[in-house]
Amino acid sequence: MTVHEIRTRQSESKRGDASDGAIFAEAVGGRLSRVDGPAKITGAAKYAVEQQLEGLSHAVLVESTIAAGKVRSIDTAAAESAPGVLLVLTPDNVLRLNTATDWLGTPPPDVPYCPLARDITFSGQHVAAVVAESFEQAVAAAALVKVSYDETPAIVDLDDPKAGDGIPVDTMTKEWGDAQAAFTAAPVRICAAYNTPREYQAPMEPHGLIAHWQGDRLTVWEPSQWLDGMARTYAEWFGVPFENVRLVSPYIGGGFGSKAFAYGYGAVAAMAAKMLGRPVKLAVTRPQTFTAYGGRAATRQTVALGADAEGRIQSIVHRGVNETSVDGMWVEPLGSVTSIMYATPNFSSRQNVVRVNTVVPGALRAPGENPSAFGIESAIDELAYEVGIDPLEIRLRNYAEQDPEVKKPWSTRQLREAFAVGAAAFGWSKRPREPRSMRDGNQLIGWGVAAGTYPVRRAYGEAMVRILTDGSVEVESSSIDMGQGTYTILAQTAAEVVGVPAENVVVKLGDSRYARAGVTGGSRLAGVMTGAVHKAATAALDELVGLAISDPNSPFHALQANTLVVSEGRIRSPRGDGPDVSIAELLGSVGREQIEAMGDTTPATWTAEDRYKNNTTITMALPHTEGDYSRHSWCAHFIEVRVDEDFGTVRVSRVVSALDSGRLYNPKLAESQWKGGIIMGIGQALLEEGIVDRRHGRIVNNNLADYLIATNADIPDIEVISVGIPDLHSSLLGGKGVGELGIVGVAPAIANAVFHATGKRVRDLPITLEKLI
Amino acid sequence: MTSKTRIPIQLQINGHRHELEVEPRVTLLDALRDHLGLTGTKKGCDQGQCGACTVHIDGQRVLACLTLAAQAQGRAVTSIEGLADGDGTLHAVQAAFLEQDAFQCGYCTPGQIMSAVACIREGHAGSDDEIREYMAGNLCRCGAYPHIVAAVRQAALEVASSMETAS
Repeated sequence: MTVHEIRTRQSESKRGDASDGAIFAEAVGGRLSRVDGPAKITGAAKYAVEQQLEGLSHAVLVESTIAAGKVRSIDTAAAESAPGVLLVLTPDNVLRLNTATDWLGTPPPDVPYCPLARDITFSGQHVAAVVAESFEQAVAAAALVKVSYDETPAIVDLDDPKAGDGIPVDTMTKEWGDAQAAFTAAPVRICAAYNTPREYQAPMEPHGLIAHWQGDRLTVWEPSQWLDGMARTYAEWFGVPFENVRLVSPYIGGGFGSKAFAYGYGAVAAMAAKMLGRPVKLAVTRPQTFTAYGGRAATRQTVALGADAEGRIQSIVHRGVNETSVDGMWVEPLGSVTSIMYATPNFSSRQNVVRVNTVVPGALRAPGENPSAFGIESAIDELAYEVGIDPLEIRLRNYAEQDPEVKKPWSTRQLREAFAVGAAAFGWSKRPREPRSMRDGNQLIGWGVAAGTYPVRRAYGEAMVRILTDGSVEVESSSIDMGQGTYTILAQTAAEVVGVPAENVVVKLGDSRYARAGVTGGSRLAGVMTGAVHKAATAALDELVGLAISDPNSPFHALQANTLVVSEGRIRSPRGDGPDVSIAELLGSVGREQIEAMGDTTPATWTAEDRYKNNTTITMALPHTEGDYSRHSWCAHFIEVRVDEDFGTVRVSRVVSALDSGRLYNPKLAESQWKGGIIMGIGQALLEEGIVDRRHGRIVNNNLADYLIATNADIPDIEVISVGIPDLHSSLLGGKGVGELGIVGVAPAIANAVFHATGKRVRDLPITLEKLI
Repeated sequence: MTSKTRIPIQLQINGHRHELEVEPRVTLLDALRDHLGLTGTKKGCDQGQCGACTVHIDGQRVLACLTLAAQAQGRAVTSIEGLADGDGTLHAVQAAFLEQDAFQCGYCTPGQIMSAVACIREGHAGSDDEIREYMAGNLCRCGAYPHIVAAVRQAALEVASSMETAS
């Protein structure tokens, strides 16, 4: 049967926006509006912790006020006798939990896990929790818990004299040629240090959960980028079978890397629910979100570039450092862009991590690539000025025709096209080379360019597709939509394959009872899940058409057709003869209630254990350089800034970005995600910085008024242009990553523009006014 | 909890009268979300910094997290659930948000929409720059700002033309 030829159905479809004559809104690649939009704009979308449960109690955390030392005692008397208090949890009365397997699949040590600390390693660590009948009572009682400490000196951050040089991370070392010798011998040399501060994900929906035990079965309503991974963690903590834990996360109010794991507060809430025998809700407060899990680690890099007189790079020597916690390990891969953006015969990159008294850092949009690009994309700009050529020209002169590190061809790399298209739309050719050569009154104007990239993280997926009695289609997956548009693109995929209008497809996500799924992170979900749904929907369609052809009660039985076409929810012969019936009529006539098909992209040889590992760890993911190709998304940002000459304030006034994410499953939603990344990058460049109090190691600005993220008034109109082409080496339907790409390269493009405006090179983010006056 | 620390409150929300007995310290935001099941109004910071909890009281935009439920007594509260017509017809701002893709995760969206309705009503949607300034109190971490500006611009024109038609 060859009933799934996409082009055929598209040409037959009468629906959707066909104004460009190519792609209909409801097909993959069409500009369908968000199918979850109506629920979100009317307030009907219920997020995880908004479930209304009978007998719900409320938990509030108590956090350490020192960064290092021991808890000497916790006086809970006043809290325990406060109105409405049901339980005060401290390290002295916790349930014994097991340590869980981590996301890398590392077998856990056989030691108990205690989410409330006696030994303090950072300020803001959970030390106690109060559960009460009402939220207000729990807040009031938590303030009555008195914790006394034996404080010891803390290493507050990378600048602390006690911090030292840290621990080498050998797996980050990348070397070819003789980088040091080639740098020393190069006629043109630049070397500079680039720093990024602690940065936070700050999703608008704070973290939290509702935990509810029924016997030895646990239900957790919690915003999650990884239902199955988190379910495994809860199951292992409490020593119950994986199947006994249900995670529910229908909508997620932003994650940006921060909602992929179960954290200590989740263990606290689930423990309290078990001890009390009733559901417990724990909403992490906004200030607590700065220490209940980690943001992006502060980083330090030095980039040395050796080049010939024409600016051709001879050598790159790169050294990086990121902070990690005292008892946890986070590596922010700082050489990830450095090693692939430009062709160089000699290269060396090494990295250390430094332990400081902080919560263990975590993933924030493009972990690694983001700070890495700030280093190399600033340095290449400096090299351009050193040799006296245009910053765009030097990038083309050093264009990497293949992956310089693994020496494999790119699967696709539309970066040259991105430079050309972006430059034309921006008007780059009119740019005067000299800094301080454009002004408007007291505003200095500067234009900067930088490139960005993100690897294609591939993984395997599965999905369930049903064709229901009424002819509608249902898609189920325990993957999630945190705003990227999963509901929409999976509806488009199923609609296109089965041949029904997208409005007749219901996509169900965010419940671990559905077909299981791996992590939503690293920009992998769209590629993984469109592939899985395509397979499942194809299997469902095959069965539908098979029934129509061969079932004795089918109106098509007498036709003896080899195949049938399904479009607009109706089944016909491709020749146009014979009956024309709806899917519902066909199912009725053959007496079938529904057709149900699981589909997956997993290898046929996989065992149940392999699938479990695929869905609960990242160990089964495919490296982006596996096989014959190196796979990445690419982009080029062109940015104009206006700098007040007297006050040093920087405003971004214009952005044009050209991006290669391969084929876009829904350009309307992909453009939104790209712009979102660019806007987060503007905040990173100009505003965002976790400020550490040097006495107590606290984050001083742990709220949304003091940790500045971009507001509407900070953002100009932004033009994004897709230059991607389908990349079938990257995913079944040809897409590459979208979500992380947009932010990579924005900060250096702005720093480069600021240099062009002012003649001052700022190598330390954020670019605040005191660095310019 | 003894009952004498609770107070009776009558709230007029989206045209419906609600009787509550809550502690005096309960915010309007928690009254809506936890006591009345109206979870469309979002809690993003609980300290008046993000705008996600924006509702209207007597037609003015206010932050429900900085308003005690008791303060709203005797006044008309409108939340996102009360914005569309009774028959489900979307408000022009809601429809424009959908069309312009002015949101991603959707968590700041009810507050953005309530702010936008007020912004237009206040006469502060005259230009893109003015919209940016008067919508700057509503944070969006997904970065939908340019599309929010486009949606408010579109809705402001529609509201103006419908008022012209009416007059």
